[in-house]
Amino acid sequence: GRLEALLLEAKGSWELAEKAYSSLLEDNPLDQTIHKRRVAMAKAQGNIPGAIEWLNKYLEIFMADHDAWRELGEIYVSLQMYKQAAFCYEELILSQPTVPLYHLAYADVLYTLGGLENLQTAKKYYTSTIDLTGGKNTRALFGVCLCTSAIAQITKGKSKEEKEGAQVQSLAAKVLEKDYKQRAPDKLPQLTTALKSLTLSS
Amino acid sequence: MGSSSGDLRYELSQNAYIKLVLHSLNHLTSAVNGVLIGRISPSNDAVLIDDAVPLFHSHLGLLPQLEISLMLIEEYFSAKGLNIVGYFHANERSDDYELGGVAKNIGDHICRYFPQAAILLLDNKKLEALKKSKDRSAVTQLYVRDASKNWKLVHSEGNNRFSLREPSANLMLLDYIASEKWQGIVDFDDHLDDISKDWLNPGLFN
Repeated sequence: GRLEALLLEAKGSWELAEKAYSSLLEDNPLDQTIHKRRVAMAKAQGNIPGAIEWLNKYLEIFMADHDAWRELGEIYVSLQMYKQAAFCYEELILSQPTVPLYHLAYADVLYTLGGLENLQTAKKYYTSTIDLTGGKNTRALFGVCLCTSAIAQITKGKSKEEKEGAQVQSLAAKVLEKDYKQRAPDKLPQLTTALKSLTLSS
Repeated sequence: MGSSSGDLRYELSQNAYIKLVLHSLNHLTSAVNGVLIGRISPSNDAVLIDDAVPLFHSHLGLLPQLEISLMLIEEYFSAKGLNIVGYFHANERSDDYELGGVAKNIGDHICRYFPQAAILLLDNKKLEALKKSKDRSAVTQLYVRDASKNWKLVHSEGNNRFSLREPSANLMLLDYIASEKWQGIVDFDDHLDDISKDWLNPGLFN
């Protein structure tokens, strides 16, 4: 039964445990715990493609499991499969649109993917993160500055939205500088130089 | 001009070494990474790694936080005449000795600014065995780029291409582990979540 299978996994008898889990899932495909054990075991053995496969199968059934989407997103990021990671965060934003963490992760992934469209979308999601966190999220504030700079390097002054973009960037920069002045004053000089280089290149 | 990576030695200071290993112990279930800070030796035959900054313990493969951290760190240390001279990586699983894509990409990026940069990969088994083995060599593997810019493991047995500056570094490390000093380590992830946390870890070695 279940306990025996769990014991096999705990002892490290991977093959036997996997057979036990698979047969348990045949009998009861809705056993969430056993599904998750199968994923965890694949990860523990370093079988990441297997973990991805089992996790995707799990999400086909339990598509509302946010932790599972987050786990899958993280695995994809660790493998540099950013498009697939983006899909996971899109799912999370769809189902829980007011959780700033998902907006931020999505923006980070899009920035990493690069390209004008992704950067512009990333900037939107950094901005929504800032809105959802009352303007306090350091990563999102940095993200806005990075995006504006990267976008400007691609469009090189040919885009109308750049002036608007520059305004948002300088606002974000001001908030960051004020925060560092208050809470990390010894790190303010480096921040100022970094922000200057980001605004100069835009 | 400096020598090519082919004949350079790499020397790791105790403070950098201990900081990086403690960081990985602070996040046992995740991959972690960090940057190595240092300079070329006056005799031009070695890269001296004087310090290290622990970076992240989640989403190591994402660019925004990496770019910001490198900017701020480089800015801070260049004022002291030091550069980012390498990268440290600890895999999530203790038996994973592969240098993954993320590590290589970050290493390549650092090489653009410091061509002789090295990657240190944590050797978990060696770390675990340290209490019994009284080994004096570092619990890290050294990787450098060959002429075709591929990352290659440098076998340090029998040569001194990679050494710990202080021979008693492992004793110090064990001491710090025993007193659980890894608990207070601040990395860049921690700093970005709360900027009042100092990624320089100033109180660590007092």
